[in-house]
Amino acid sequence: MTPLQLFQLAALALLALGLFGLIWRRSLVGMLISVELMLNGAGLSIVAAGQLTAADAALAQLATLLVMGLAAAEATLVLAIVLVVVRRFGHGESQDIFELRG
Amino acid sequence: MNTTLATQLLFGLYALVILAGGLLAVLARNLVRAMVGLVMTLFGVAGLYLLLNTPFMAFMQILIYVGAVVVLIFFAIMLTRAPAGGEEAAPRSFRQALLAVLAGLAPALILGAAAYSIPQAGVSRPPAVELKLLGAHLLTSYVLAFELISVVLFIAMAGAVLLGFTRRKGQ
Repeated sequence: MTPLQLFQLAALALLALGLFGLIWRRSLVGMLISVELMLNGAGLSIVAAGQLTAADAALAQLATLLVMGLAAAEATLVLAIVLVVVRRFGHGESQDIFELRG
Repeated sequence: MNTTLATQLLFGLYALVILAGGLLAVLARNLVRAMVGLVMTLFGVAGLYLLLNTPFMAFMQILIYVGAVVVLIFFAIMLTRAPAGGEEAAPRSFRQALLAVLAGLAPALILGAAAYSIPQAGVSRPPAVELKLLGAHLLTSYVLAFELISVVLFIAMAGAVLLGFTRRKGQ
């Protein structure tokens, strides 16, 4: 196994854990934590691909910085959405809010 | 100590930290414990960035994720006041567990098969990228992406402020 494949394996483990958690969790904050796990795996995969192949290493690092910025923006918005849901339903769990109502 | 052996040992250690933290983050009943698991995973990934010879990425990982995102998640946990015996603690059926494991494993297996079937010409020693070069790229070739991510962050924060407003009674 090459080092690149080992690093990709770690990134894939993060992806699998995040997807599992996204289905398994029933609270919105737990889902947010799972999404952060997945985004971390994506960043690790991009940097490993840039550093361990002939690809442009600087581009890979900048792309991962972009992913980190997106993760911060996403966490901000999810915090606001959780606040609205808590104000309306009294708690942040997903079972009561899966029905779309006008 | 042999450098290769040390690298392999450290990779094993960081991979263990990532796995344990990820499992804690996904399976813990208490959301604060799940957050601690997430922090553990983030530090493990930062260690892997150090092994990849990208200390700047490790620093940004700790600064942005542990410093900003985890604090936001902690705010969310504290503001939602999850009840102790809420939905999160209720037992799941076997079918739910099976579907969740399947949903996690299927994409990972497909991507893993793709990564292993395509031969990759790897380099043995990761190159060190100068910080100066990264800054120069951000302000020349990739200036559009750099400005756009600033706009995205600004819009996300403005939207969060807008959603957080409470309308006054009678208006």
